[in-house]
Amino acid sequence: MAAAAGSGAPREEEGPGGDAAAPQPQAPTSVPGARLSRLPLARVKALVKADPDVTLAGQEAIFILARAAELFVETIAKDAYCCAQQGKRKTLQRRDLDNAIEAVDEFAFLEGTLD
Amino acid sequence: MAERPEDLNLPNAVITRIIKEALPDGVNISKEARSAISRAASVFVLYATSCANNFAMKGKRKTLNASDVLSAMEEMEFQRFITPLKEALEAYRREQKGKKEASEQKKKDKDKKTDSEEQDKSRDEDNDEDEERLEEEEQNEEEEVDN
Repeated sequence: MAAAAGSGAPREEEGPGGDAAAPQPQAPTSVPGARLSRLPLARVKALVKADPDVTLAGQEAIFILARAAELFVETIAKDAYCCAQQGKRKTLQRRDLDNAIEAVDEFAFLEGTLD
Repeated sequence: MAERPEDLNLPNAVITRIIKEALPDGVNISKEARSAISRAASVFVLYATSCANNFAMKGKRKTLNASDVLSAMEEMEFQRFITPLKEALEAYRREQKGKKEASEQKKKDKDKKTDSEEQDKSRDEDNDEDEERLEEEEQNEEEEVDN
């Protein structure tokens, strides 16, 4: 499964493989110049292709989806943290996430999907 | 090898890093919460893809493009993502253009061995992968065209 991560277009050779596929000996996530996107485009592409209605997706579309997913992770983490803060806890728990999903309209699409 | 969409998770290490950088220092995240966020991110991509695909189909196109995704963000009520995404797209396009020119330039350099200084310059820049190199590349390219 993970082996597929490295078999994308040449542009991915500097990508943050995270899995052993990357030829660089550096830490998997710290790749200079890849600040544009930390999520591996190959994995995002696999998700996109999982949709039976999608025929093709351009490189730029994949890239933007990856970046949007990052923004989404940041956003939901911060919103969940607000709930934890109210409980004066320093560790984000699953219930903080559930609360955020219920409280924030934009996260409504997540209801029922995380179980 | 049937992989369900739910199984396609994004790498934990990267997700954790993004979360940690979004939160203040000293804040931790439980394994369950992190795993849930990771899954949420996958669901987000699937949902965004589906929305974007609707726009592509409306435009009678078979290939999803960047503007389809941006339209999807708006539809999903994530307008606040649109500006940072547009900026990222610009930077990505510049990087792609720079890479293309760099590989074309490499071919040219191999053929002509006249300007060896510029050769070294472009090779060094290649190794760096910095955004700064893009400007240098453009300069080099202009000079090459004159020749």
